[in-house]
Order: sequence, then C-alpha cells, then structure tokens
Amino acid sequence: MSGDAEGRTVDRRHPVSEYFRLERWEIPPPPGVDALSDSGGRAPVDAHLRGSGGGLRTGGLLTSIDSLGGFLCGLAVLPEGIVTTSMMATISQLDHRGPLRLHGRVLRRGRNSVVAGLDVVDEGRGGLPVAAATMTCAVLDPGGMVPEFERPCPTPMAPLDPGAPGPEEFFCIEPGVGPVTRLELTDRLRNPWGILHGGAAAVLADVAACRAAQAGPSRPQPTGLVAAADTVLHYLRPARVGPVEARCQVVGRRSGRAVVRVAIHDVGAGDRLVTLGSVAVLDV
Amino acid sequence: MTFGGYPPARHILGDLGMVAEVTSDSAARVRTRVTPHITAADGGVRAGVMATLVDIVGGAIAVRSLQPDWMATADLTLQVVRPAIGPWVEARGTVVRKGRTTLVIEALVFEVSDEGSDLEATGDPSPVAWATMTFAVLKARNPASPIQMASGFPIRWEFVGDGLDTSIVDAIGISVVDATEGRVSLPVQEYVVNSFGAVQGGVMALLAEVAGAEALGAAQGSDGASIVVTDLQVAYLALGRVGPIVTRATVLDAGSGGRRSAVVELVDEGGEGRLATAVNIGAALVDMPEPVGS
Repeated sequence: MSGDAEGRTVDRRHPVSEYFRLERWEIPPPPGVDALSDSGGRAPVDAHLRGSGGGLRTGGLLTSIDSLGGFLCGLAVLPEGIVTTSMMATISQLDHRGPLRLHGRVLRRGRNSVVAGLDVVDEGRGGLPVAAATMTCAVLDPGGMVPEFERPCPTPMAPLDPGAPGPEEFFCIEPGVGPVTRLELTDRLRNPWGILHGGAAAVLADVAACRAAQAGPSRPQPTGLVAAADTVLHYLRPARVGPVEARCQVVGRRSGRAVVRVAIHDVGAGDRLVTLGSVAVLDV
Repeated sequence: MTFGGYPPARHILGDLGMVAEVTSDSAARVRTRVTPHITAADGGVRAGVMATLVDIVGGAIAVRSLQPDWMATADLTLQVVRPAIGPWVEARGTVVRKGRTTLVIEALVFEVSDEGSDLEATGDPSPVAWATMTFAVLKARNPASPIQMASGFPIRWEFVGDGLDTSIVDAIGISVVDATEGRVSLPVQEYVVNSFGAVQGGVMALLAEVAGAEALGAAQGSDGASIVVTDLQVAYLALGRVGPIVTRATVLDAGSGGRRSAVVELVDEGGEGRLATAVNIGAALVDMPEPVGS
C-alpha cells in the first residue's frame, strides 16, 4: 500500500497476500465522523491451502490477518509507515467451509505504535467465529516510500492459480521432521521493506511447531494429525539474509494440546533471534 | 518493602506476599505461595494471578534495564500447560529485546519449594506456563514516572501484607453483573492500582479471566467456576484510572471442539467509557465434583 520514490505502488498486490488471495477494502467512517477507517477482507479457502484441521491452515489465516491489519494500521498512520511488531491470535475453528470474512479496527493509535483488533468469521458456515487477533505495529519514518493510491482503496481477490504449490513449497520451507525447520529467504517472501514478510514467519512458525509437537517423546497419538491454533509472535528484529530457522521446544502438553515455543533465527545474519513466539498445537 | 510509598500498606501485591529477586541486569524472578484463595477449579493457580506474577517480574527487569527511563505495559501473553499447585509458583523472566521504544521479556513459570528451589526431587520441574511481555519505553523527561529509581535499587525484596482470607476475586472486589454477557465490574481502589494510579496490569488480566469464564460458563448453562482459563493475550490500550472497570465478552467457541475461547474488552466506565484493555482468552472445562450431600 506504499509507493517508492518514483510513485510506483509496491504493495497493492504482494506475492504473499496474493498467494492467499486476500481481497481487502477500506471502510471509512460515516460522513462527519472524526474517526479512523476500519478495514474489511475476504479470503477463499482453496483446497491446496487446507491443513490437517480441515480449513485454512493457521499460518495462512495469520498471513491474511497480518496483511489486513498491516493495511489498516498503515492507513491510520499515513504518511508514515508501519511494521508489525507483535501478533496475538486465538483460533476458535480449524475447519472452515469458506470464504472467510475479516474485519479490522484500530484499537489505539499512539505516537510510536498502532494496535488493531481483527476478527475472522466463516461466511460459509453462517458467520461462525474463526479467530480473533490483536496486532501491534510500530510507526516508521517512510523514508523514500511515499503513499500512492486513491482512497478508499480496494484490493481485489487474485484469481485462483490452478498450479499453485502448497504452503510449504511456496514459502520455501525445507522438508523435515523434528524441532528445527528451515526456510530459504527468497525475494517473493520479502515485504516492501525488503525483510521477511510477517506472514511468512507465521507460516514457518505453524509448520515448525507442528513438526516439533509430532516429534516430542510424550506425544500421545504417535500416528495422529496435528494442527496449529492459538499463536503469539513477537517480531523482534528484521530477517534480511536467511536462511531462516525456526527452533522449537515443547513447553508442555495438556488435553490433546501442546504449547510450543518457537524461536526464529536469521542464520545468515549472525544467527540472531528475529522472532519469538508460541503456537498451541492441537491433536485433530 | 515499598518504592516511594508504592505499594501502599494494604495492597494486593502485599497480600499475595510476593518475593522478588533480580538475578542479573536482564533477568529476575518473582514468586508467591499457592493457597486455595488464588486457585481455579483444577486446583492450579489462576491464570490472572500468574499474569500478575509475570507483570511484576517484567516490571522488575524493565525498571532496572531501562533506567533512567520508565515504562508502561503494552501487552502480556500467558499460556498455562498444566495446573500449578505449588507449594510456591515462580515466574522467571529475561530480556529478549531491548529497543529504543520497546522492551520485550520472556518468562517461564515454575512450581518451586518453600525454599524457592526447583522441584527436581519432589515434583515436576518442567514449566507450568510460558509468557511474554512488551513494555513501551517512556523517556525520562516524561513526568509520568512517580518513582525515581535510585542507584541503590534492591536486588531482593518482598511485598508484605496480611495475606488473603478469601478468594482473590472477592478480595479485589470483582462482582458479576451479567454472566451471559461476560459483564463483571471492578471498582478502582488503592488496593489494586499500580504506581500510575491505574488498575495494575495483572489485576486487569484477572478481571478478564473472570469475565471470560463467566461468559463461557453461561454459554454451556453453568457458571464460571467450571471453566479454567489457560490462555491470556492481553493488549493494554489505556490506563484504567477512574472506574469502575466493566467488561463485555464475546464467546468465540463454547466448546464445540473441546476448547473454549472468548474475547473480553475492559472499559473504564467512569473514564468516558474508554477501552482500556482487550483480551483474547482460551479455556478448558473442568469436571466439577458433586456437592457434598447431593
């Protein structure tokens, strides 16, 4: 949603949000009301994006939430820019008929940060709640990036690509099992700031946490399936170099649910910790 | 012990008898004794009480790490993985990022012995919960800081009080207004406020825990006592200074897949109805014993 110094728009259709085919739009306040815009979105649940829970896998859901929340917070701080610093999401349904409908509103607009509340419902199941999330964005000096778009600014749903790869392939996540999962940082996974897209980190956390939960010694159903659900992610530093590695530790298990600590490191940048979070992994 | 007169003589932190220790420039631990007054239906310490522990351990680290600047809690997350039955429960926090405008802390919560040591020999030494906190840095020129930290900031201290003689929910004055709506109310009084004069962050989490449990209990035709909140995702948006702090809850899932979840908003009703805190909650149902004599 920002443009570069030549006025080119660089995030009207980012490869990551395009992959999940998120349609999004601005919801301006009623005429005469001094308030920030809300935002709306809709995302289909394509077959290749479904996870073990039956619906859009949580990493994809979080990517759409991040995209819509980033769009919302970005509008709230214009002409400044934003970058996501944290995401807290509670997932109430793993099985979706779709499409999913998203709504976001600004909860707090501060000098240094913006906090947004987002909710997701399943249109195909009568508006059944799917998720609620709170995300925080830091306000940034946009530098040479200048806004270049008309408002309100809708972004249409991308067409379905019948040959689209599954999430692990699209997000360049190496095959594997166990507590460590690696992602190659290719250009399509970078956001307009040139760093790993927050949604890509969310997908990596989802995949890595599920692999770790399945590998744990006390796994109650060794042959069963698992799916990621409630997730907390703190984006601590940008991942610029790669490869990016998610290192997981099962904190504990309770009633078919493992809580997995996920620490994501930028291996090529001195192995520094870039994202820290947790994922609740459910037996399904 | 107090810092510039905070907390006052009668305060929830004193009644919880918290013992704090700064273990390095970027780490600290805080513990409290487990009593029936702070436990939930599963016998473990309430998530809101653990959030209070985490809030204090985070504050202990932040005040040392950031001085002469001050800080305000921006968010707190907590995931409980098993009931914390004690005899004590201890939060251990470390800094994971110190930036210009924010400080992020990670904490693990453990059960510890009366002496404060791990339960390697007598119990389960694994964590009972994982938590994070983010603080917004308030620059020192900001006059909002009521406590000036001297170079002699202590390494170890204890909040002393009379102890709780009733449930912590009753002690802080929470009342249920409408369980179905998840509407509970808390008066703002000296007993529960922080050094800014606003309701302490852990108490706000506890209020949200109660509201969420009431709403989730009502959604299945029972009360909140059968619901154990295991997950809190708390966003602190504005100080709750005036009161009463009143909640409203939206149930996301009343238990279709075994898990329960809700969103709770805490509004400072006397403070122009300002949204003070937003909390996402995850919970589980606990089988309650039949009442004696039934």
